[in-house]
Amino acid sequence: MPASSPDVVTDFDLDQAWRKHPQVALREEAFGALAYHYGNRRLIFLKSPELVVVVRDLENYPSARAALDALIPVDAHGSYERALARLVESEVICGA
Amino acid sequence: MDQVTASTEETVEENSDVVEDLLVEEVSIDGMCGVY
Repeated sequence: MPASSPDVVTDFDLDQAWRKHPQVALREEAFGALAYHYGNRRLIFLKSPELVVVVRDLENYPSARAALDALIPVDAHGSYERALARLVESEVICGA
Repeated sequence: MDQVTASTEETVEENSDVVEDLLVEEVSIDGMCGVY
């Protein structure tokens, strides 16, 4: 089963407020950014500059859905929703 | 014709997974010397 399977997604609520985890540092790269979590020592590649903007700005929106509506074209929302769910699992983002 | 439609839907689904995988990739660095 691929890691991206919806079965792995458990605690992501699109209508909840989220923010970048305080223990996560982002380093911008040409492909997007590297995210390093100082607590769980996970290293995550964010392979889209748009995803980096979403992660950075999540805390400025009342929900993840509002952030996607403002920052991502509608036809790409599905992929970004699943990407955010994976970032919850990796603790790159957390509940605000 | 139905087979063609089903095949196209499968391709779209696979492509969706690929895009998702392109957006986020996690690498374990535990055990690497000199990383921390």
